[in-house]
Amino acid sequence: MKTGFYLRLALDGMKKNRRLYLPYLLTCTGMVMMFYILYSLAYSPVVREMRGGAVMAMILLLGTVVIAVFALLFLLYTNSFLARRRNREFGLYNVLGMNKRNLGRILLWETLLSALVSILGGLAGGLLFAKLAELFLLHMSGCEVGYALRVEPRSIAAAFLFFGAIFALLLLVSLARVGISRPLDLLKSEAAGEKPPRANWVFALAGVLVLGGAYYLAVSIQAPLTALSLFFVAVLMVILATYLLFIAGSVTLCRLLQKNKKYYYRSAHFVSVSSMAFRMKRNGAGLASICILATMVLVMLSSTSCLYFGGEDALRSECPYDVSFSLLYPSAEACSPEDGERLSALAHELTGGRERDLTAALLSGTSGYFEDGTLILDEFSRFVDLTSTAAELDRVRSVFFLPLEDYERLTGREVSLAPGEALVWASKGTYGYGGFTVPGCRTLRVAGTLAEAPLRFSASDTLVVAYCFVIPDWQAYTAELKSAVDALEDPLISMEILQVCNFDLPGVGDEEQIRMTEEIGLAMTDGKEDGGWVSLSSKTRAADRSDFFSMYGSLFFLGVILSIVFVAAAALIIYYKQLSEGYEDQRRFGIMQKVGMTRVEIRSAVDSQVLTVFFAPLLLAGVHLAFAFPFVQKIVRLFGVTNTRLLILTNVLCFLAFALFYVFVYRGTARAYYAIVSEGEG
Amino acid sequence: MSILEVRDLKKIYTSRFGTQQVEALRRVSFSVERGEYVAVMGESGSGKTTLLNLLAALDRPTSGTVLLDGVDTSAIPEKDAAAYRRDHLGFVFQEFNLLDTFTLEDNVYLPLVLAGMGHAELEQRLRPLAEKLGISGLLKKYPYEVSGGQKQRAAVARALITGPKLLLADEPTGALDSRSTDELLSLFARVNREGQTIVMVTHSVKAASHATRVLFIRDGEVFHQLYRGKDSNEQLYQKISDTLTVLATGGDLG
Repeated sequence: MKTGFYLRLALDGMKKNRRLYLPYLLTCTGMVMMFYILYSLAYSPVVREMRGGAVMAMILLLGTVVIAVFALLFLLYTNSFLARRRNREFGLYNVLGMNKRNLGRILLWETLLSALVSILGGLAGGLLFAKLAELFLLHMSGCEVGYALRVEPRSIAAAFLFFGAIFALLLLVSLARVGISRPLDLLKSEAAGEKPPRANWVFALAGVLVLGGAYYLAVSIQAPLTALSLFFVAVLMVILATYLLFIAGSVTLCRLLQKNKKYYYRSAHFVSVSSMAFRMKRNGAGLASICILATMVLVMLSSTSCLYFGGEDALRSECPYDVSFSLLYPSAEACSPEDGERLSALAHELTGGRERDLTAALLSGTSGYFEDGTLILDEFSRFVDLTSTAAELDRVRSVFFLPLEDYERLTGREVSLAPGEALVWASKGTYGYGGFTVPGCRTLRVAGTLAEAPLRFSASDTLVVAYCFVIPDWQAYTAELKSAVDALEDPLISMEILQVCNFDLPGVGDEEQIRMTEEIGLAMTDGKEDGGWVSLSSKTRAADRSDFFSMYGSLFFLGVILSIVFVAAAALIIYYKQLSEGYEDQRRFGIMQKVGMTRVEIRSAVDSQVLTVFFAPLLLAGVHLAFAFPFVQKIVRLFGVTNTRLLILTNVLCFLAFALFYVFVYRGTARAYYAIVSEGEG
Repeated sequence: MSILEVRDLKKIYTSRFGTQQVEALRRVSFSVERGEYVAVMGESGSGKTTLLNLLAALDRPTSGTVLLDGVDTSAIPEKDAAAYRRDHLGFVFQEFNLLDTFTLEDNVYLPLVLAGMGHAELEQRLRPLAEKLGISGLLKKYPYEVSGGQKQRAAVARALITGPKLLLADEPTGALDSRSTDELLSLFARVNREGQTIVMVTHSVKAASHATRVLFIRDGEVFHQLYRGKDSNEQLYQKISDTLTVLATGGDLG
């Protein structure tokens, strides 16, 4: 009987505040659902067993962690918002003779009900949509899909435990809040006189400076390798600056406008500017959160969709040939031109003569720290740890050496080079030095530069700037270089001596390409004699394609899922903001009317404020996105997608789609706002 | 000559679905001369506030007219009503109705700024008024920082700064302690002596006893009125009390 009483009070309270509770429960449900979907996919046997499934599972698990952390923070925020609204009711109960223990029981029931509804609802939705998500994910990754529906007890247990823990935490927070409050405070908490917002020059200025610094950092980052850590700093700075600007900057701006008496004392600005200062003081943090969420969604969606849709490009730059073989030699002396001829012959024979652009060549290469035409090998390892600066990493070079005979055979051109002379090709810019020296080896004199690469290098070869030298005395020079490298006895410094054999297979299906590659490899290993090469490796674009798309597909999938969660969160913040403003403006509306403002005047003043408050985060998010562009471009390039136009397109489309959605949310919530405000009219 | 002329005013409220009708004012007629200080008294529900809303053109009468300085306020179109109120009427409310986002100074300026007055003139108008009302030192403060009496004086300043033809006050002492009440009432009396016409709705005998004339409303009609004549505040207070006793016991003063 008594239990029933508290349960009824809890139910009643939630029903009375359904304007607040319904969206809250919906969001909780959505969070549980997304958590379940990602978690169950991460541990799904289907995903684990597919090609590239391990990478995909890892990405999905990472997404689960992001959702979990976000859910925790976000539910804490919304819960505190709800609690503020409920304080009055609890104050009344308290005055009417309920003690804190009784209030605690109401809270307990409330939390239990919310937890039950959202976890069960979320799991039901999750079970329903997990299969759909799986189909979507597998389709994007280019895999065949099965249609069996599975229930994952492990994921259900995980969702129950995790969200159960969150709700327990929320309950503790609410109990603590009621525990330390006094009844009269509870009653009055909403009506407490509000201190006027003060202009905080220091914070506002700091916001501008930090934002400027962050933008400068994001734009000035050159080397994508070091960019990650720097960009992370820039992201933190942008977040900090956004909060500073929205909380302190906006109020300061309003104060500044108020100081300008000519501007301020005009009927179009008077009411708007002064109430804006208050509005921003209350909503600054919420708006900044919306702005950050919007930026995250935009960056995430535009980059992952660009990766996904530009994936084929990336694949081509990572695998410049349909099939690539390479034989690894222990030393320059072990090299024999016959190996290359045999590999080429096998390729021709076993593909039925369908190979095109066959490129067989000896190639040696290493990398080091480059300065004024000198490649310093032994300092190289110093430059590739996390403390490396962009400037330092920018000086790392990959160098390759190609025999003149192979160059002439590949290009059909005849070049005369004296020993010690070299032709050079640079992957970026031009090689601006007359010579090239590795300490301990003879100096190469640059006799000419090549505009085109003698063979197609892959994206990972040219991650740092790469130089390719064509030299007549290849074997002797490679031997010299090898002994220079070996003398250092540093496992981080290595050198490769390879016979490469690459070709395309136009018009041959993926499966057949993989089969042919295997056959060639087996035939080559079969006839292997002692000495000569030590290992054979092969790479086919067809096999890499599924790896690529399982990664890009899952990144894009994660981008979409996280975007949905973040966008829903942003929408809820907006909705709550509109509601709380509605309640506050209700009274003000009435006064203004009595003092002699027409409804039209009031409406236009309020409209302009609401619009400003609403679209400022979107606008700033757009600016953030624009300044993130150069960096995103570099990161996307790191993944092998170099199509800038595609990236611009995805950026613009994502922004437009988001803006459209935002306007949609605005119109929906504005209706709730005006409904509340007009309750106080008349 | 009369500045306010109320003729056969009638107001019927109809519930939303038209099933129930409440007659708030039945037939009210009276007039207010320029420079008069009229208190309107009545029990809760007697139609006082309805009357004030009609005088302020915040609401429309079912029938009858309100002539302010010869202008029929019920004929002013809705969109011009706010501007009309702003320019010709001043309001003082029980709960002050100051905007908490404004300093007291800006609250006082509000009607003038809405009317499009420049900043220099605003200051010129405010200075003597603030002096008179004793709020010069409080102008930069926000409503939440000052006492109820101070808030009400700022509200009076806001009502007077436009130089209204008529000052309308709705239970202006209702939320004040007795000291602030005395201050406000003597302030009203002073303003009135300087020529300001005031119509005040109240059920406080003390507030009404400062007026030059007291109207009693019962059941939607003007039931009785008292003129101060040569009475002191105390004598008028006594007369009002007696009248209210009769009103409460349901008698008839004829």
